[in-house]
Amino acid sequence: MNSPPETPPTAGRQAARTDVSDADLLTRHIAGDPHAFSEIVKRHRDRMWAVALRTLGDPDEAADAVQDAFVSAYRKAESFRGEAAVTTWLHRIVVNACLDRMRRKAVRPVADDELVEAAERDTPVPDQTAEREVSMEVSSALKLLPADQRAALVLVDMMGYSVEDAARVLQVPSGTVKSRCARGRAKLVPILSHLRNRSDRSRVSSAKGAELRDG
Amino acid sequence: MTGDTHYDLEILAELAEGLLDAATAMRVREHLAICDPCGESLADLAAVRELLAATSTPAMPMGVALRIDRALAAEAENFRGGGIGLVEAPAWDDMMRDAPWETAPLPQEEPAPEPETRPEPAVRLGVVGDDGTVTPVTPSRRRTAARRRRWAMPAAAAGIAAAVIGATVVTTSMLSAADPEREPVIARPAPATSTADYQLTASNWNYTDQELRGSLLDYIGPGLIVKDSSDTSELARCVQQVSEKVGKAPFAVDQGFYNGQEANIVLFWHNEAKNQVRVHVVGPSCETVRKPALASWR
Repeated sequence: MNSPPETPPTAGRQAARTDVSDADLLTRHIAGDPHAFSEIVKRHRDRMWAVALRTLGDPDEAADAVQDAFVSAYRKAESFRGEAAVTTWLHRIVVNACLDRMRRKAVRPVADDELVEAAERDTPVPDQTAEREVSMEVSSALKLLPADQRAALVLVDMMGYSVEDAARVLQVPSGTVKSRCARGRAKLVPILSHLRNRSDRSRVSSAKGAELRDG
Repeated sequence: MTGDTHYDLEILAELAEGLLDAATAMRVREHLAICDPCGESLADLAAVRELLAATSTPAMPMGVALRIDRALAAEAENFRGGGIGLVEAPAWDDMMRDAPWETAPLPQEEPAPEPETRPEPAVRLGVVGDDGTVTPVTPSRRRTAARRRRWAMPAAAAGIAAAVIGATVVTTSMLSAADPEREPVIARPAPATSTADYQLTASNWNYTDQELRGSLLDYIGPGLIVKDSSDTSELARCVQQVSEKVGKAPFAVDQGFYNGQEANIVLFWHNEAKNQVRVHVVGPSCETVRKPALASWR
């Protein structure tokens, strides 16, 4: 299944596992290896967290969604058919868990009074504030989009996945992903224009050129 | 932006994605060549893409990672016929329904909340630091950090530590769900109100400024009680110093990192009823490395 690890035996299990593919780990999990699924979680949790956090815009909701997703994946590992990458499968579960939560209730706004209060009282390091502010603005802007457009933009524009990968995760044709991204971006322009005016004055011509070229 | 003279953002976005038919695309391009406002709109669209791409995506907070490990450990217990610790997740069919964003809203249905108060199965804290994704530790710190960790602290020692510190009992081990015969107990910490005692943990978490503004219980609550005199006596002096400055005793101290640098997070109640904590961050020489600020506990 995999070549022998080059590390000494005492480095053992941990070193060997990094060589094992996700699909093999999933197979081992199904076969009863109690450590295999933990390794899958460890490998992918940061990306899953990012997807959930950006899709839901709320850390508590995102934590619940990722937990639901991993528990479901753990239980239903047999449903993985191997026609897609394990990561695609996991992304699909996480994205669906997020969309499921969005469907069931309106997500609470991120800001909470105490955080705002603390932020007003103390002046933190400027660049971190700016970054946090932009991140919050982007989060709240994304919440104004329909769920399908939001999910597509999170995968393609924020996480940097190819349109094809996003299409596999969302289980829709590539053209649909492109169209959702296009409509989502068009909606975001007026909402986020003030951020752009503040932070980027020099990129106009090059960005325009890139878009024209890509178009 | 619409009408005969300009194209709207959606058309321009579709052009950029190559979604327009050849004839329409040609027409829009010809227009773009002579129309500055539409060119600006196209640039705005590109800027939105750049903004989204540039928005940082933080790593999963340790509290969330631990929670998931616990849930999976509970799931493993259940799977092996133990019948305890089942964490309810939404039904698979619910979650994986096709095109869920286009279906009608479901009846309100909450997944069971994570049982936080009962004894829980093993927490796999060993993941922290294995690959550096959870707690990036600077090389010079590795030795100290490793020495500080007491992953497999015997239960008796934990009991003593708890008796001394009087805030929290946390036993952890490297055991995973595979070892059902051991049942480490995790008690959620009760905030200490005594002025003399504080809970001392060594999460070795690398805190960001943003995390220190949010809810801290998840980071510090499930941490490891430390009992290491060589390390802690120095720390105790420092905590004493900080306490004198603040004018009261802290309720929790966590040894970890702040923006990659070794740091101790010292927490004072600001207003316990309002769930407000005052966060002081000090470096190895007890120097203040972050302006004291408020955060929440739960």
